Amino acid sequence: MKSARYNPPQRMMDKRCLAVALLLVFLFPTARAANWEQPAGELAKQIAALAGPGPVRLTIRNDSSLAASEIPAIRRLLERDLRGFGVVTGGSESATLIRITLSENLQGGLWVAEVVEGTETRVTMLPVSLGSTVSPAGGGPSLTLRRTLMITEIDPVLDAQIFSAGNVQRLVVLEPEQIVTYTRSAVGTSFVEEAGWVEDQRFAITHTRPFPRDIRGELVAAQDHLFDAYLPGAMCSGTNTGAQVAVVCGDSDDPWPVGLTQRAFYNSMRDSFTGVLAPGFGMEIAPFYQASDIPRPTGAGMLLNTVDGRVMLIENSTLKPVSGANDWGSDFAVVRSECGSGVQVLVSGSGAATAADSLRAYEIVGREAIAVSAPLSVDGAVTAVHAASGGTGATVIVRKDAPPRYEVWNVSALCN
Amino acid sequence: MFRRSVISALLVCLTLFAAARTRPHYGGTLRIETQGDPWQMPDGIARRLVLDTLTTAADTGEARPSLAVRWESQNAAHRWEFWIRAGVHFQDGEALTSDTVAAALTDVCSRPSPGMGACPWRTVRGVGSSVVFVSDVPVPDLPELLAQTEFAIARQDATGAVVGTGPFRVTGYANGALTLAENDDCWSGRPFADVVEVRTRRAVRDQWLDLSVGKADIVEVPPELLRQAEQQHLSVLQSRPVDLLVLTIAPNGWLASREIRQSAAMAVDRTALYNVIFQKQGEVTGSLLPQELSGYAFLFSPDRDLDRARALRGGASPSSLMLGAEDTTSTMQLATERLALNLREAGFNVQVAQSGSRQTSALMLRRVHLEATGAEAALDEMLSRFGQNRAGSMTGTGTDAAALWQEERGVLDNETIVPLLWLPRAWAVGERVRDLRLLSDGEPDLSDASLEGAK
Repeated sequence: MKSARYNPPQRMMDKRCLAVALLLVFLFPTARAANWEQPAGELAKQIAALAGPGPVRLTIRNDSSLAASEIPAIRRLLERDLRGFGVVTGGSESATLIRITLSENLQGGLWVAEVVEGTETRVTMLPVSLGSTVSPAGGGPSLTLRRTLMITEIDPVLDAQIFSAGNVQRLVVLEPEQIVTYTRSAVGTSFVEEAGWVEDQRFAITHTRPFPRDIRGELVAAQDHLFDAYLPGAMCSGTNTGAQVAVVCGDSDDPWPVGLTQRAFYNSMRDSFTGVLAPGFGMEIAPFYQASDIPRPTGAGMLLNTVDGRVMLIENSTLKPVSGANDWGSDFAVVRSECGSGVQVLVSGSGAATAADSLRAYEIVGREAIAVSAPLSVDGAVTAVHAASGGTGATVIVRKDAPPRYEVWNVSALCN
Repeated sequence: MFRRSVISALLVCLTLFAAARTRPHYGGTLRIETQGDPWQMPDGIARRLVLDTLTTAADTGEARPSLAVRWESQNAAHRWEFWIRAGVHFQDGEALTSDTVAAALTDVCSRPSPGMGACPWRTVRGVGSSVVFVSDVPVPDLPELLAQTEFAIARQDATGAVVGTGPFRVTGYANGALTLAENDDCWSGRPFADVVEVRTRRAVRDQWLDLSVGKADIVEVPPELLRQAEQQHLSVLQSRPVDLLVLTIAPNGWLASREIRQSAAMAVDRTALYNVIFQKQGEVTGSLLPQELSGYAFLFSPDRDLDRARALRGGASPSSLMLGAEDTTSTMQLATERLALNLREAGFNVQVAQSGSRQTSALMLRRVHLEATGAEAALDEMLSRFGQNRAGSMTGTGTDAAALWQEERGVLDNETIVPLLWLPRAWAVGERVRDLRLLSDGEPDLSDASLEGAK
């Protein structure tokens, strides 16, 4: 097996990574600890209302996903705040016991305080946000995949692309039943707005036939208008009308573009392409899930993955199987970069539909797929990979289950 | 705790489907075997495939659109309006309208299933494209309640057969097997499998044998056999706790005294049931809701206190009490015997009712299924299973955990319901099944599962 050659890792990069890691190690616990100020103060107030001022015994039990290392900080805050209300902890002889359980339910944290005096127990509870955790970044030995979160949606996302008209950049998000547009904003307050995108318009997608269960869809830049959206048995066109976008949808069996010159007919009942291309290559092609142009030394080629799990390459009017693609999932995008041959295939893993997944970059050398990055672990399931407008990156849709949400990433390749 | 459970479940899924390669294929026959009736309430497997509800329950507790696309409460949750999804058809081609929805729900309320409480509304009627519910008391969690299969939308076609709007339709029943065929025009998308075959009333050992020889794709794994399934290297999907093992005490005769009921409740040894009968599966509980749902279940002590039980009984020596089990499985019979032993240790004169006896005993061991994923709706559902309605005492505060705890405490203080164990559900899955997930109540989601090699 051939191996692609790249520049060796730079020391500067290692130092930067170390600095970021140190920052995370030292800053993140501080940030989390700061989050407990408000709930600790609120719970102390509630406890004081039940117990009244005086000495108490205090116990704290962690029955939640909070790290044990966070408990001392929470205890200190609670003791301080209770003192502020005249409730003094540490009285081992005190008849009043305050039993605090840091619990958790589906909505998040639930801090429960039991004030025990003799045979009487009074209870107060406080819902608490547990915040989020940092996901470890992925990396590879020769080429690194970099991901940037664009937006997070509750509803399923099929594709998301950035389209420009004049000076205005729009993020268009294709969902099964609607198209949502966002515009850039300098300052934001919500999660979406933090990434710079503010919701602009929503358009319902009209269609008469039910969509398939594992619905797919694709956004494509159009020549004479802003974009086209392809869905099983339906199509929408988006047009820029000055400050706003207008979208028109309707039933359609038009073939979907799968390259600069080729279009493929889609089987809405099976959610895959039929194998019929227009204008085609003069050969019979098995039904496939995805196809894309890929530059080849001999000119243009087309890469496709068939429904029976094979990866095929159409080159010089012949159809050839690609080896080394056993670990490929059903979604890929051809992206351009400054690394290696300049063309990589970004591929989803072949893992579970419900659990952790991965992304990895490959190059097609001859008829062999050679991995050129380490797998980028994905905390969720990759549900779609589309080449991003411009071709230098890919839009990756990741479904996460707890809580249910869809993350839209832009993934690109960095040379090491 | 919940997150840990979810992570564990996901890890199981990951292991199970590591060989998955491509998008799911359409076609093939998915064969599932069960001990129960596929139409039984509330967890009959066929019921879920054929019928839809107005809403569905997300894992995080809130209601999600299903046959209803949106909803709105008015008049302090005394009135609710649900807008019906357009373009949905029953499996016989008839369009779903607000009137058919209202008629179906009225029918449900006029013929409540055994073990189900009264409907939480007074009237339901179709108005244009929406359905309006009116109740005498506020029902703040009605969208969550309507996700329960009890409130699935069904009607009878010209032949009298039950039809719904779900991904499969019933095509036949022969030789103990119910056959369901895909509904191409299902509003939520055609399912991947062409046919689902449900073999009913099949003993677990026969199910496992069928799985081993390739005659079944999905079979049941009772919680007490999870370790054995692991030893046999079966691929198993396990849910969060969804079944409550509970002792109910009828407040009649000698048991009309709350102290005596409390004595019986304190005599039961949950830990022994957990360790011995259920092989350390699930969780010991004193609460009507799982800890992961409420966050406060630990406040209800599950500990046995034999001395206090004897003291509360006060030396009274009544006539014999009957203790029965609602289902006749050998595990429930063993659990009943164990409970009888506990009660005798506290001085109760207890006789175990014969297996299969239809007679209702003063003390009954029941296994109660929970569908809801939100704490408030879950409490409503559990009380409904015991023939009680919480609606009269609703405060309308919704997610106030402390208020919910107080309500639950009020119910449990009556000592007629003694929660014992929360148990998971589990299924063993054959090699050719792909992408099978469990619904939030532990039932397999067959409409999203596909078969390896199907074309």
